[in-house]
Amino acid sequence: MAFKDLRSFVAALERTGDVVHITKEVDWDQEAGAIARRVTEMGGPALMFDCIKDYPPGYRIFAGSLATHRRVALALGMAPDTPVKQIFAEYEKRNEITIPPRVVPTGPCKENILRGDDIDLYRFPAPMVHTGDGGRYIGTWCIAVCKDPDTSWTNWGMYRFMIYNRRHLAGWPRLNSHMGMILHSNYVKHNTRMPMALVIGADPLSSLIASASLRKEVSEPDVAGAMLQEPVELVRCETSDLLVPAHAEIVIEGEVLPDQVGQEGPFGEFPAYRTEGIRMGVACRVTAITHRTSPILSMISLGTPPDDCSVATPIASAIAVKKVLQRHGLPVIDVNSPPHAVLHTIVISVSRGGSEVTEKILDAITLRRSDWNKVFVVDDDIDIFDMGQVLHAFSVKCHPVRGVHVRDIPPGKAHALTPAYSPEERRAMKGGIVAFDCTWPPEWPRETHIPVRNSFNDIYAEEIKAKVLANWKAYGLS
Amino acid sequence: MAKEYEVFVEDLARDLPEGREVELTVKDLSPGPRKYENRVVRAIVSRRADQWPDADRLRVRSWTGVLYPETWAIRIVAEVGELVPGTPHGETLRVL
Repeated sequence: MAFKDLRSFVAALERTGDVVHITKEVDWDQEAGAIARRVTEMGGPALMFDCIKDYPPGYRIFAGSLATHRRVALALGMAPDTPVKQIFAEYEKRNEITIPPRVVPTGPCKENILRGDDIDLYRFPAPMVHTGDGGRYIGTWCIAVCKDPDTSWTNWGMYRFMIYNRRHLAGWPRLNSHMGMILHSNYVKHNTRMPMALVIGADPLSSLIASASLRKEVSEPDVAGAMLQEPVELVRCETSDLLVPAHAEIVIEGEVLPDQVGQEGPFGEFPAYRTEGIRMGVACRVTAITHRTSPILSMISLGTPPDDCSVATPIASAIAVKKVLQRHGLPVIDVNSPPHAVLHTIVISVSRGGSEVTEKILDAITLRRSDWNKVFVVDDDIDIFDMGQVLHAFSVKCHPVRGVHVRDIPPGKAHALTPAYSPEERRAMKGGIVAFDCTWPPEWPRETHIPVRNSFNDIYAEEIKAKVLANWKAYGLS
Repeated sequence: MAKEYEVFVEDLARDLPEGREVELTVKDLSPGPRKYENRVVRAIVSRRADQWPDADRLRVRSWTGVLYPETWAIRIVAEVGELVPGTPHGETLRVL
């Protein structure tokens, strides 16, 4: 079952007991963020804040939509107790095709239209998510929409945007993000304004797809349709030709300015640190706001894993990496990035390993930029969804000298939020990447060089294993 | 009644020189739904808030959001505009 909007998803979470409505008045100023953070860290339910200080009844904040694998499974229409590995497999299966969106004449996001002097971003209970953040982030779990005017490629990305003042957003789509590339290639160099729309409270799978790093010129609405297994319904903006999800809660239309900036950040980001400080952010002048009646503002109180960004986003990002590796002809079997890796570490299993394959994996995943900075390459007898097995392989199979492959990442290509980088490295977006080759050298003969793993499955003769299993209960074991 | 503002600085000594006008982006901490609205101002600031008892108050945070213990004083001289002239990602482009 596809959830066309956030409300139907929340209704499903109510049926399974995966959402709690908080009816007590909660302050948008840090309190909602703190509650959501603590509940997320406890692996608790999604939260609907039904009563927000300073705001009229009906204006709500929803947090933690995909912060557990259970809720990701529900969003995909699967049983809530589906194993993580199967969720990845289902995502990958759906990702084999694309389903283009359907443009509709209107939709629920047009129930209220604000233009001219009615535009006021403070109408919405944008949260001050963490103490010490640089502003009220109205765009955290959101979709920022822009379009390449030359190719008509529509890009959805999840970039943070805060309320700068009544009519302006300030945000931080990274320079090497797709939005950053479109902005500079097509607008800043011509000194023209770039239309954009900030979509808040879209259906859960569209938000998930926006959060992932997909290949340049891949249309995220097409991928979201594949995930929903039906076209995403899009509607035209009031003040530009951008298309946005028709069932979204709030759509902020605007123009990114090529010649003006506004102070933005800092913000407690997805690596679970407030890494990069204040900067002059991308400024967006708001041209219209459309929203559903009684709008729900989607929020993520980012921090230590797990949360939506460390649980759900790595699914899409890992499968995207798998496709890249397959396109490069590498013998990839599976790819995973567990929540505590916060999109920094990736685990790749291969049917044939060794130094050459490891180097080629690094070539492929650093081609455009390098968000990942640690890579584990393991043989395909390792279950990469069991980090105990991965750590074991790393500990005993990775040669401490020959198994470690280190590269510098040149300026402009590394992730500016990686806490390990110095402030200077982060600002210049330069860093490094290390791959740990935890595979047996392919030239090692099995009979003489490859050590025998002394696990029950690997070291015992088949007849001994069969005997032990057949007698298991007779031994008094359950 | 004195108002309260907040400012984020990358380098305390460089960005908050005392006794002369400086251009700052400050956040208005007045309670209510417009709290944290940004204003670009020319202002004079002082670390010795006790010597400017009638001035507005300025909370100072580092560029990563750490609050400095002293509350400063601020006298806003003029509003400069809503935004600041500049190129998006200018800080990064300068060091690439």
